[in-house]
Amino acid sequence: MSNLLSFIAQETGGKTYSSTKFRFERVEMPKLPYEDKPNIVFKRGRNGETDKNIVQPISIAQRAKDIGKSKKQLFKYFLDGSRKTYKLDDIAFDQRIYPIMAGQVGVGCCYRSAPDSFKKAYLEKQIVLALPMCADKDLHPRSTYFTDLKNTLNARPNLQKRNIQITHVIPYSDRQLEKGQRYEDRGVAKVQQKMTDLERKIVVDLAHGRKLNRTTYLLKDGSLEYFERATQNIHEWRTMKDSYRSVVGVSKSFDPELCKNNRGGNIAVDIADMPVFYRTPAYKYAFQEVLFCVWYLRLQSRAHTAGPFSGVIKVEKILVTEEEQDLGLESSEIDEISANLINERNPTAYGKDNRWANHLYPIYLTEKFIKSQYISDAHFIHLF
Amino acid sequence: MIIGKVAATQKAPTTIDEFYFWTHKDVILSPFDVIKVAHISKGPKPSTTFGVVESISHITDADSYLNSYISNDFGDADLQPNTQRIALNYVKAKVVGNTANIYTPVQHGSQVSLANKQEVAQALGLHNVKNPLACGYLEMYAGEEEKIQLKVNINSKFLIGPEGAHLNISGISGLAAKTSYAMFLFKALQQKFLNNIGERKEESVAFVLFNVKGRDLLAIDEPNVDLTEKDEAIYEMLGLDPEPFENVKYFYPYGHHGTPTSYASKIDLDAQIDQNKGFKYKYVYEYDKESLELFFANIDDSTGTMDSILNYIITEQGGFRGLRNWKEFSKELVDLSNGTSMNNEIKVVSWRKFKRVANKAINHPMFAARADKTKNEVRLEEAITHIQKNEVLVVDIAKLSEDMQSFVFGNVIRNIYDLKLGDSPERDADEIPSKIIIFVDELNKYASNDVPKASPILKQIIDITERGRSLGIILFSAEQFKSDIHNRVKGNCSTHAYGRTNAIEVSKSDYRFVPQVYKNMMSRLKQGEYIIENPIFRSLLNIKFPKPVYKQYKNG
Repeated sequence: MSNLLSFIAQETGGKTYSSTKFRFERVEMPKLPYEDKPNIVFKRGRNGETDKNIVQPISIAQRAKDIGKSKKQLFKYFLDGSRKTYKLDDIAFDQRIYPIMAGQVGVGCCYRSAPDSFKKAYLEKQIVLALPMCADKDLHPRSTYFTDLKNTLNARPNLQKRNIQITHVIPYSDRQLEKGQRYEDRGVAKVQQKMTDLERKIVVDLAHGRKLNRTTYLLKDGSLEYFERATQNIHEWRTMKDSYRSVVGVSKSFDPELCKNNRGGNIAVDIADMPVFYRTPAYKYAFQEVLFCVWYLRLQSRAHTAGPFSGVIKVEKILVTEEEQDLGLESSEIDEISANLINERNPTAYGKDNRWANHLYPIYLTEKFIKSQYISDAHFIHLF
Repeated sequence: MIIGKVAATQKAPTTIDEFYFWTHKDVILSPFDVIKVAHISKGPKPSTTFGVVESISHITDADSYLNSYISNDFGDADLQPNTQRIALNYVKAKVVGNTANIYTPVQHGSQVSLANKQEVAQALGLHNVKNPLACGYLEMYAGEEEKIQLKVNINSKFLIGPEGAHLNISGISGLAAKTSYAMFLFKALQQKFLNNIGERKEESVAFVLFNVKGRDLLAIDEPNVDLTEKDEAIYEMLGLDPEPFENVKYFYPYGHHGTPTSYASKIDLDAQIDQNKGFKYKYVYEYDKESLELFFANIDDSTGTMDSILNYIITEQGGFRGLRNWKEFSKELVDLSNGTSMNNEIKVVSWRKFKRVANKAINHPMFAARADKTKNEVRLEEAITHIQKNEVLVVDIAKLSEDMQSFVFGNVIRNIYDLKLGDSPERDADEIPSKIIIFVDELNKYASNDVPKASPILKQIIDITERGRSLGIILFSAEQFKSDIHNRVKGNCSTHAYGRTNAIEVSKSDYRFVPQVYKNMMSRLKQGEYIIENPIFRSLLNIKFPKPVYKQYKNG
């Protein structure tokens, strides 16, 4: 019984090298150290919220306290996605060598019905294999080559007896590399893409199931970066955007260079000096075709934290309606979201993570839940 | 009801002997609870592994107290977070058996459930006990629906022989109710043998009890008026009738002017004498002089001088020839101590020592010239020699001095020993109960580590525990601290009952084999609760027993 990589070489007419298999992220982190998007464009001169008088950070402490007493929590769903990528081998086609990349993708959503009840709402796990596009020698536009390859691989006894299935075999672009680029990163990007697809699917499913509304929000870890226009169908596009009415994205880390106000000035110092439980005014920016409202919020006092930005989170929300896109998000909603986020600051992950001051515990738990679902690296690598 | 799943980690793997499982933090379990796990089998149907809960730990994902402090806004004790820290209980369970005898460790992720009544019995080896004798009941699980009350039977052949014998009960005074537990077992035994349940006809028992405290055992054939319906229901569940003991005789030490040296009230005593079940015991020189050595049980006699004197007296040498009563004996002792009477072998000073010890005792009125049977006076030896099947003899020694108590106790067990050895010409072997069970509280007085090795009483007790099983002499003993008792005595007991004790005691080597959590439980046991160890049980059992069936004196 040949292993899966030899089988892939045989099926695709390539030649494998039995290179060392390894967990890719351990060697090098291909992603940006910050969780927010590069190249964002702030809408100059336009505030991201309805109250245009808010130009300095304002305190949310009292609001947070009031909400805490009422015990009415806004955030009930928590979403996070993660992936582990592996380099399995190198494969040669036409005198060129490409990496065979693979990944485990996990996206989970947890539901909190009460402070002591935290349960799984959704969990999607996928195994993704990324091959260079030229692995399909014919590459017909309507070819189902990679899907067929996936089915053939899944029928192999190596996977059958372990009751494990590859979810996708996806091609990555084999166009010529530019300076600093690597094929590995393209493979990883494909794995990442599957993760964001899954995240989006869960949000849409929740919204369709009428699980999200004005009093039940979903909190998503990281920036809402995946929200690029994924469909050309205008109706579908609107529906998708509508699904994000009750979704808030929170980034633990952000690039201070991108902390700009509506006049384009840098507000990094303002954020660093912001007292605890204060939020900045909200700003508005466009990314691809979507308008976002963004603000920063301090959860932990500067006195207890390690750096100027630890204890501060970046909050994002998509501006869905035309009114929102014109006037910005209701300031009261921003306050409401901020106050609820402040109340999520405890328990902390102190001692477990250096970024403890930026963690939101339910998100942290969701992340732990997803990671607990992965099969071990050694097991995964030896599937192939 | 499924309560959790087995977790096997690198640091805490599942093994042949134990496994760990997690439960929701609100699941109530207690040490000794039985749980079951579906396991592999040789056939298509899965087998079941049973475990007994040994310890329960509660953990969160906080790795330090500092973490907890910081997570409460740096020490705000009133803070109520939106999400409570993730927490769970993990339970260590000891494997007690598998339905298919498969001891391969249980597998990670296997579901753990509570067991039903039959399964609990099967797990603990209680479902198919031969020669069953009720030794209490156990209660398991906290929930109203899940709660199980299960009768615990012991194989009587492992309690009173021939497979195993002797019971030791330990526990602090008052709370441990040691006497009550021994009496509960006697009740079960007497009923069993009165009805001859499952026993061969030729087997029979008789009981000899020592009353060492107040009036504890001085009305065991009178009903307990405080017994509630609930108690009676428990007796019914255990298959026992809540009636007091039958065929009881009480023996009181004879006292001044015929009034016994006892805490018993005169009215009770007279009533018992009228009903011919109360007797006053005496010691007569002619027949009991050989027991004199028992006075010297706690006296160090490294040179053997006391032994020589005793030998001199028993063999009726010198002035002791033909003596018939204690008074003349006492006079002879005085003479020898004063040097008036000559004895070249033993020094006067030794006679003086002997006299000092002996006089303390023989001045008591129960050392008399003769026993008048018309006035219900007896010699204890005679009473013991004529013990009948299913009879309960209660020997009251509560009000006697410690030396006298030792004397009476030593004398009685010696008489029982002689009877069972067939030294009594008066009785046929068939008439003698095949098993005589002795109960004595405060065993530490007679068989502690501090008792001189040459003590005749200690020797006798060791002899009983080592050879009594085959002779049919069974010792049920009790004491506060088991660690005080001579190793050969407790080592020969097949059954041990541990009542409430203290932390110092459980730190002693006797409790080495007991898991820490059970040790801690021993210091929290309630009255009427015991932890039982017996060869037929697969693990220690936490059992309860109902209130006594006989009259309880409120003021002792």
